Amino acid sequence: MESIQSFVNDRLKIEYADDGQACTVRFFGKSFLKDPGEFVFPILSKVLQDAIEGKKRVFIDFRELAYMNSSTITPVIKILERARMGAGEITVQYKHSLKWQDISFSALIIFQTPDRRIEIVGME
Amino acid sequence: MDSRSREFELRVASDWGKMGSVNEAILAFLESCGLAGELADRYTMVACELTENGIKYGNFEKTGASVSVKVKVDRRGIFVEVTNPIGAGTHDYLRELDRTIQWVRGFQDPFEAYIERMQAISRESIEVDRSGLGLVRITYEGRAALDFYVEDDSTLSVSAVSEL
Repeated sequence: MESIQSFVNDRLKIEYADDGQACTVRFFGKSFLKDPGEFVFPILSKVLQDAIEGKKRVFIDFRELAYMNSSTITPVIKILERARMGAGEITVQYKHSLKWQDISFSALIIFQTPDRRIEIVGME
Repeated sequence: MDSRSREFELRVASDWGKMGSVNEAILAFLESCGLAGELADRYTMVACELTENGIKYGNFEKTGASVSVKVKVDRRGIFVEVTNPIGAGTHDYLRELDRTIQWVRGFQDPFEAYIERMQAISRESIEVDRSGLGLVRITYEGRAALDFYVEDDSTLSVSAVSEL
């Protein structure tokens, strides 16, 4: 059975789904948040902790995100670094064909680990 | 694209909640100039990042004070200028702005500056919420040259210029 939780702040919606095999966090809409860390980081942090305890991979899916300000990437960078230095498996997914996503998210490749425990994947 | 020069100006109150409307208005203007989706997205981002800085660091103590956002499109390129009132408390930001623009100019490829800034963010504590990525993103993703000037010690104008 899959459980889904939704979190909404202004025009940004974050959906968290756990199907027992993996934890998936999907971003929808547009993020103009002034302090996105206050909203986004606790969600990502909780998901990562749950995934580590359940030995599951976290998928962070940005493909349905239409716009984000530069501050929105900050909590993502911090959660990737936390996982990279500690435990957990994270796959960041973005839409390769969407130019702004390709430019913004492909740069996160610097956090990818050789064993692909942390991976950044451009998808169609 | 339309061969004529087109200009657009917005006055934005010091209200972060207006950023969604600012984004829509600038995107609509750029699309009306005939810019394709990818270019319209790119320069909307440039204008929005500068507007966010204007709201965040401006001084709005005077009644009616606002942020002015100007976007000009012609055959040569796109010019975005955001002007906001400043006060004594803004001087630290001006120094930081100057330092950041000079720092970004020091990189042959703005991608390197973007990567370096992301690495710095990853080393900062969770409590540090300021990304400092906006200006770097404008030069990297927006492929724009940044500049700024202060007029009469009371307004700050930051511009981003991109060739089409």
